[in-house]
Amino acid sequence: MLDKKVLSLDELAFKVAREIRPGNVVAVGHGMADVIGKRLSSAPDAWIIDGYGGLISTHGASKSSKDKQGSSFHGVSDVASIMHGGHVDIAIVEAGEITASGDIVSLSTLSTAGLLAPGWSVDLLDNPRRVIAVAKHFNSMGESVLKSNCTVNPDGIGCVDMIITDIAVLEIGDNGFVLKELVDGWDIDDLTADGSIHIESSQSITDGEVDKEEETELSKLYDTGVAAMSDLPDGATVMIDGFAGPGGMPHYLLVSLRDHGAKELTIIGNTAGIARVVNFGTPAGKQAIDHTLLIDNGQVSKAVASYPVSPSASRPTAFELAYRRGDVELELVPQGTLAERLRSGGAGISAFFTPTGVGTLIAEGKQSRIIKGKEYILEKGLRADFCIIRGYKADKLGNVIYKGTSRNFNPVMAPAADITIVEVDEVVEVGTLEPDEIVTPGIYIDRIVIRPKDFSPYE
Amino acid sequence: MAARKVYASSENALADVFSGATLLIGGISQYGIPKTLINALADKDISELVCVFSPCSEFGAFPLTALDPLLKRGQISRLITAFPFYQNTGSLIESQWSSGNLSIEVIPQGLLSEKLRAGGAGLGGVFTPVGIGTSWSTRYETQEIDGRQCLFLEALRGDFALVRAQQSDNLGNLIYKGMERNWGPVMAMAADITIAEVTDIYDAGDLDPELIITPGIFVNRLIQSGQS
Repeated sequence: MLDKKVLSLDELAFKVAREIRPGNVVAVGHGMADVIGKRLSSAPDAWIIDGYGGLISTHGASKSSKDKQGSSFHGVSDVASIMHGGHVDIAIVEAGEITASGDIVSLSTLSTAGLLAPGWSVDLLDNPRRVIAVAKHFNSMGESVLKSNCTVNPDGIGCVDMIITDIAVLEIGDNGFVLKELVDGWDIDDLTADGSIHIESSQSITDGEVDKEEETELSKLYDTGVAAMSDLPDGATVMIDGFAGPGGMPHYLLVSLRDHGAKELTIIGNTAGIARVVNFGTPAGKQAIDHTLLIDNGQVSKAVASYPVSPSASRPTAFELAYRRGDVELELVPQGTLAERLRSGGAGISAFFTPTGVGTLIAEGKQSRIIKGKEYILEKGLRADFCIIRGYKADKLGNVIYKGTSRNFNPVMAPAADITIVEVDEVVEVGTLEPDEIVTPGIYIDRIVIRPKDFSPYE
Repeated sequence: MAARKVYASSENALADVFSGATLLIGGISQYGIPKTLINALADKDISELVCVFSPCSEFGAFPLTALDPLLKRGQISRLITAFPFYQNTGSLIESQWSSGNLSIEVIPQGLLSEKLRAGGAGLGGVFTPVGIGTSWSTRYETQEIDGRQCLFLEALRGDFALVRAQQSDNLGNLIYKGMERNWGPVMAMAADITIAEVTDIYDAGDLDPELIITPGIFVNRLIQSGQS
């Protein structure tokens, strides 16, 4: 067994890279997964998330590489949000044990017997679209990574899709392991130590030397706001930032949404349009663009907001008037709770206990709990179908920076929608934005539109 | 105006750290470690510390960890981490755990992060579906939220957080460099007293407002880092 060829880490990385499609979000775990993550230079333009420090790299750039074009740095909780929030396409985990039903014990868990310390493994295996387990096929005792049963509690249940070891590539099929590729010199019977596990052989087992078809990621850049939201349906839930002033408001996309015309919308935002009645800095004879466009056009049936009313009783907002007419529903949420609900929605948190609102109307009908002597109420994560946000600059991958107070709700909304569209002043080449300055990584941005140079936020 | 945050020495900044305190220690393995503060802590006559530090080592890597100065003096009684040691590499954490001198609470890295973030944001705790179906379901309270089983993660806070940043101003606004960012932003929020070890301390107004990651609101004390 010892003198037979085994794949090098570079060869393993090549096989992993073959599975990655342009634009995929790939999160790597510890050990061999991390080492492979640094060798994915042959992968197409994908997002590689390094769990150790929160480097989101692109083009397979390694930690030591000077070529960090499009990469950005984030903290551990940002990385956790990406994993828990369901934003990962492929998780790569070094396996200690894998069963035919796709259960996996990561090597970190297996090698800390008595403690079963998973590192990132449990987070990684939670809900990526695909799990690729990588492993040395045999450990130092000569035992195969393929098992009838896990010897300790698995980190993930039935979640493995593909196994890439230093001698074979297997998939998990309906009847268990399916051998796809085998390194020259090895036999299918070598793959399990005791032969007790059935391995189905696929039609054609290759040595893996296949050419990869060229693919390019579809551009995120759209010509117009209307084109970027062509699939936004009636009845959609849409997040829209915006305070009383122009800061943070996606004015151009608001006009686009009015022109697009979708009806029965639920809008989620801090306000439901008060800029028009507050009129901070609005030129004489003009009116500020805000959510009023959608209200007046009869497109909104509900708002989830913290401040949907005018500060002045004599100048009610369009939403207030619609509410008094009974045309719209309203769910009032304290502003900080709204921010936390959005953050939870993006980060895969189902609900949280907050002290905000305890003893007020906000607490009515909500579960409450005393924790360490303090009372909290349960609030739930909030997600939307679409989100329209206002950035300052984006690169072509969708990495976004904001300007001044325009940052407000935008970064917390961007991860919390299925489709996030950003309106920016300028789209720059990848590599122009510094890895340390990027606020919203392109992982969260699906579509980019440029606010036309002659566009006015007043009409 | 806020009390002066820049301390002349680590010793001064750590003067009130007490035996039994819970310390949130920034950094991952060898990246972004507040080494100057850890070394100064090892000179103090305190023990029974509870340390949150994760992961303690890179898998398969060097057995030395950033906590070794404290472990050598037997100052840590409990460690909360997602990954404490790679077994049989001669790690001090492993030997002290094996001999019963150190207790270890293991929490998956992302769940640990959510517990600290909840602590920092004033939440009592969060419900997450992550880990449901695995043995982690049996270690935590579970509750169904909108038809989906979730684990309850109670908020975690520290008495002190020790974090490392590249730049600050004298108000405690922090900018991290690269991989250093890891735990700093979330730990700085989650402690009663946050002490940052910084390479370059500037006057207020010298940092670009767009680049500040941790606002000085969360930072109580600053010391000049002895690290380059």
